[in-house]
Amino acid sequence: MRSNTIGWLLLAPTLLILTVFGVVPFVYVLVVGFADWNAFAADPTPHFTGVENYRRLVFDDQFLSALWKTLGFGFFAVASEVVLGYFLAQLLMKDVPFKGFFRTIHTLPLMVAPIAVGATWRLLTVPGLGPLPYYLERWFGIEFRLGTYADQAFVTTIIMDVWHWTPLVTLTLLAGLATMPKEPFEQAQIDGANKLQIFWHITLPMLKPTILATVFIRLMDALRTVDEVWMLTGGGPGAATRYVGLHIWRVVFPKTDYGYGAAMSLLTLYLTIVMCWLLYAALVTRRELPKAE
Amino acid sequence: MAETENGNDKANKGRTGFLPIHTNAFDRVFIGTVIFVALHLLWMRFLEAHIPLYVATLLSLLIGAVIVARG
Repeated sequence: MRSNTIGWLLLAPTLLILTVFGVVPFVYVLVVGFADWNAFAADPTPHFTGVENYRRLVFDDQFLSALWKTLGFGFFAVASEVVLGYFLAQLLMKDVPFKGFFRTIHTLPLMVAPIAVGATWRLLTVPGLGPLPYYLERWFGIEFRLGTYADQAFVTTIIMDVWHWTPLVTLTLLAGLATMPKEPFEQAQIDGANKLQIFWHITLPMLKPTILATVFIRLMDALRTVDEVWMLTGGGPGAATRYVGLHIWRVVFPKTDYGYGAAMSLLTLYLTIVMCWLLYAALVTRRELPKAE
Repeated sequence: MAETENGNDKANKGRTGFLPIHTNAFDRVFIGTVIFVALHLLWMRFLEAHIPLYVATLLSLLIGAVIVARG
């Protein structure tokens, strides 16, 4: 009884902070999502409209298009980061000269603020000023115009995200690889397993929790990307890189449509949670199924 | 220590119903809620012109109850 009381007392500050900064804002957004509210209109009071915002949402082609683009962006960015991050982690596991130096250098992008990453990539890709369009045209004959070609803008936002966040994936996978016991690998080598078999039957299953946690973090981050893309393309050309975060920003701030913005935010949160849960269920929970009797 | 382990066992106590995964009560309520929201959104998009949204509410509550009870 006494230890329970002490436990609750120790938990109290965390629970208080979580409630004030997590639960209360969430409930507030939930309530606003069911209201029509424009704080700068002639009538600034919120009016309860039921599911009207959500009814509008499921027919909003611009929002649905932004959602699909965001899912594409998240999928390609996170998949590339995990594959690249794994190879870099394996590389950093080996005893190579200047390993510490390379490890420090490769984590530098993590220390840069997203808005500065966007600004840097913008300078790199501006035609007539940045080196990227110049060399792509000179060496490969590729006309690189971010403001004109939608595909180029989409791919560049993915490459920028990969450049920025692969070090995080590398570090987490490196930690996972470093804590693995050596015995299973030695036994597999004695049994004559090749590198691919070792990777598929030993490394990957043992690294699964680390990969899963990394994918969760990166997927959630990628689905709410705003500042980097805003600086690089501004959502363009047209709406080619207007991902859902940018779209919500355009509705909430310039149009001050708070109710609809809240509904869009909640739907995005819902999809993020569902995707993470599906991933978790597919990779972890299924494994724990008891055998049929 | 033993108390903590027992507590964890109690918290993780789950079962396998008709759902293809091992679930506890929280998982089943979560799945029910996810289906509730998804069904309403899809209903508004494709069926509300012909069938009122109350039907979706009743249907999803029914599905939720079945999942919580037997999932």
